[in-house]
Amino acid sequence: MTEKKIPSELGTRPVGELLKQYAVPAIIAMLASSLYNIVDSIFIGHGVDALALSGLAVTFPLMNISTAFGAMVGVGSSTLISVKLGQKDYKIAQQILGNAVVMNVVMGIIFGALSLVFLDPILYFFGASDASISYAREYMQIILWGNVFTHIYFGFNALLRAMGHPKMAMKATITTVIVNTVLDPLFIFDTIDLGFVQFSGAGWGIRGAAIATVLAQCISLIWQLRVLSDKREFIHLKRGIYRLKSYIVKEVLVIGLSPCLMNLASCFVVIFINRGLADYGGDYAVGAYGIVHKMTFIFVMIVMGFTQGMQPIAGYNYGAKAYDRVNKVLRITIALATAVTTLAFVIGEFFPGYVARIFTSDEQMIEMAVVGMRYNCLMFPIVGFQMVAGNFFQSIAQPGKAIFLSLSRQLLFLVPFIIIFPHFWGIDGVWISLPASDLVSSITAAIMLGYYFKTHKM
Amino acid sequence: MNKPFIINIGRQLGSGGRSIADILARHYGITAYDRKLIELAARESGLSQELFENADEKKRHGFFHAIFSNRSMTNALGSNDSYLSNDALFKVQSDIIRDLAEHESCIFIGRCADYILRDHPNCINLFFTANFEDRVARMASEKGITNEQAAELVEKTDRRRAAYYNYYSGKTWGAAESYDLCINTSHLGHKGTAELLKEYIGLRMK
Repeated sequence: MTEKKIPSELGTRPVGELLKQYAVPAIIAMLASSLYNIVDSIFIGHGVDALALSGLAVTFPLMNISTAFGAMVGVGSSTLISVKLGQKDYKIAQQILGNAVVMNVVMGIIFGALSLVFLDPILYFFGASDASISYAREYMQIILWGNVFTHIYFGFNALLRAMGHPKMAMKATITTVIVNTVLDPLFIFDTIDLGFVQFSGAGWGIRGAAIATVLAQCISLIWQLRVLSDKREFIHLKRGIYRLKSYIVKEVLVIGLSPCLMNLASCFVVIFINRGLADYGGDYAVGAYGIVHKMTFIFVMIVMGFTQGMQPIAGYNYGAKAYDRVNKVLRITIALATAVTTLAFVIGEFFPGYVARIFTSDEQMIEMAVVGMRYNCLMFPIVGFQMVAGNFFQSIAQPGKAIFLSLSRQLLFLVPFIIIFPHFWGIDGVWISLPASDLVSSITAAIMLGYYFKTHKM
Repeated sequence: MNKPFIINIGRQLGSGGRSIADILARHYGITAYDRKLIELAARESGLSQELFENADEKKRHGFFHAIFSNRSMTNALGSNDSYLSNDALFKVQSDIIRDLAEHESCIFIGRCADYILRDHPNCINLFFTANFEDRVARMASEKGITNEQAAELVEKTDRRRAAYYNYYSGKTWGAAESYDLCINTSHLGHKGTAELLKEYIGLRMK
């Protein structure tokens, strides 16, 4: 079980080696979950049409809100359960598991039902047009019916990690990605031509992509249920743990409230971007942003993997006041992150057409995505630094600064820019606000990090 | 009185928990741990002492604290693997409490020790209260502050202690059912209360 002893190697082994050990699994996990997002878009872009990508893009915020509520129970219950497991208090841990299931079911049903009832007004508000809404609606109707399963699936994954089974959680994620990737073409296309063999698919279009997503999660969910019902485990699903306890519900919601708000903030921004693009550039601009977002997402996730690897190393050594080791791991991580985001910069500036063609063959959308990508990646060489700096403050237990930096890039500077810039430069103004926000927030990060170095001389 | 035993003390601020613990510790020739525990925890883990002092019984409450406290902001960033998180530090402390309890008879003040040692065979779990005016007067004279300041301090500290205890133990701080014996120290004073407790402990350990 989770014996969360502090490994003393964090204070002694070379930081480069440690970083490799801690970052590689994190990067793999991050890549797996980002691939999951991208696969749907690729198949929809080619299997349906370009406008479907726009429809898909306006559904992101709604999916994010669903994730936010899932994270509330997920983070809350997994944090609480790991405290209880650390105390070997299996009775309460058991009840937390049961309560988490019930809370996920209740939340999943309420959220799914409410969103289904108000689906059209929500999608219009998020930037859908009369042309793109039918795609968004078809996709979301299926996703929302499956919302309960999605919540339970993500909730179980968080709990599996907290229960000391990160590998099983990873397996569930990878299974979902693979199943989704296999089912997507079968469900979306009318005919599938692999060159040597040709057969007919279900031809369900964008609806097929949604069915594949939900089905893939359900398959992983069945496997998770088997793992979590294993009676050899200290805590497992059994009768008598599902009655809600006010202590558990209250603490889970209190802990989960802030991750929920963070997720809501990020979806709030996407709404702004989508609406700005829809107003000034139409549906194709929204779809193009979807492509740009997916492309950069991969690189952002790799950087997140590095920073996750950095956290325990920087955190422990900061706590032990070994500032030279803290600074060293910070420098290495910044260098690696910068390399990753610089690669994204090179691809985004010099080969944007190739990337756009992965998602669609519609020339108009490719053209728009190329413009968007060039703008979006303009400041990427310094974005790696900004992201590491934010996470660094988190790892040395100064989450306030970490949140400020994270919000500064994605919300505080971005939203005013998106409101103001288009008045002067139209659609270009929306695109320009992205690198502009990157630049200003990187400067902010540099100032804060500079101050840290000044106060923590070796 | 030869089998090892543990006394866990929960207390409202200003109820005299510390000084009663000292009287009992002297009487039985054992150690009363509160801040000493922090030093031990810090030494054991290799982390600096201030970290533990900052995390110590300072879990805050209320809606805005729920959003803006360090704990919840750490959660907001979605990572609970930090070795500096309050939960991780609590784990270090509880390992040390269990280790100490295994090797010697001793007194623990606060830190949810009654919960941490719930499987220990010889635990005596006590909770001290005192009349509000007495507690305020005591804190005012001890810290050299006005009565209003002392009243605020008492209320705030108790709220924090309750939040900390309830979060980690899943029980209710100060509720009779969470302890073996709850006493209002205003009536017998510190010495008198200690006398009564010696009787009680003697009967329990027979």
